[in-house]
Amino acid sequence: MADLSAQVQEPFDLVRLSLSERVFVKLKGERSLVGVLHAYDGHMNMIMSDVEETILLVEPEEEVNGAGTVQTVKRQLEMLFVRGDSVILVSPGAR
Amino acid sequence: MLIFSVFKTLTDQVVTVELKNDLCITGTLKSVDQFLNIRLDKISVVDPERYPHMMAVKNCFIRGSVVRYVQIPATAVDTQLLEDATRREHASTHKR
Amino acid sequence: MSASPPQDQAGASAGTVGTPADFLKGVIGKRVVVRLTSGVDYQGLLSCLDGYMNIALEQTEEYVDGAVVNRYGDAFIRGNNVLYISAMESI
Repeated sequence: MADLSAQVQEPFDLVRLSLSERVFVKLKGERSLVGVLHAYDGHMNMIMSDVEETILLVEPEEEVNGAGTVQTVKRQLEMLFVRGDSVILVSPGAR
Repeated sequence: MLIFSVFKTLTDQVVTVELKNDLCITGTLKSVDQFLNIRLDKISVVDPERYPHMMAVKNCFIRGSVVRYVQIPATAVDTQLLEDATRREHASTHKR
Repeated sequence: MSASPPQDQAGASAGTVGTPADFLKGVIGKRVVVRLTSGVDYQGLLSCLDGYMNIALEQTEEYVDGAVVNRYGDAFIRGNNVLYISAMESI
């Protein structure tokens, strides 16, 4: 991990080093993905395979003291294009 | 440009486009442009109960900016080719 | 009209004057907090950033409402989400 900073001159280098690796992607709308990264571009459009999507559903019913019931939904997708404008964060290494 | 090229190779494949409003449309990819606008033929809506107004629609044009995901048949892409092409594009757009 | 611009005498200590670009140069390699427009904070070591404010962080902690909710060894943050970058040590 120490030598990583030497290889990363700009943010996209971090993403390039994750090609063919499992990555975690945080998206807008309380969604996240874990999958293998195969392609990306400067907009952070991505193509991933073997993807598990997790959606956080917060029921708005009674939000007293932030006690709104949170429910997660998961689905599996074999090959997925993700539009870059939904992306918040990409992190190498599964999870 | 790379992703545009990938989508061009996917024409005539059956894909599912998920929009940012959660609507999922399955259809045959007829064409795509540089903005990743998409034309689909022989479409069906994944959850017709929720979107009954789409029943009569046979084909559509989707503005690229409203797309969240496109589900692609895994057999339609060569992942090694994608990774090599991505590294090449990265090298050309990020000097060095 | 006689008042001199305040920045001439104030802020004499290094790092408190300079352009935004100077700040961004100086903050590389430092511990920072990146706040997103959503209100989420990322605290970590800033490896690098680019003109879009895309950011690479190391040893990242994700804070929601002041509590750590996630840790990432490395993280790429897409620039459009960034509200500000705050240095946690002198630059």
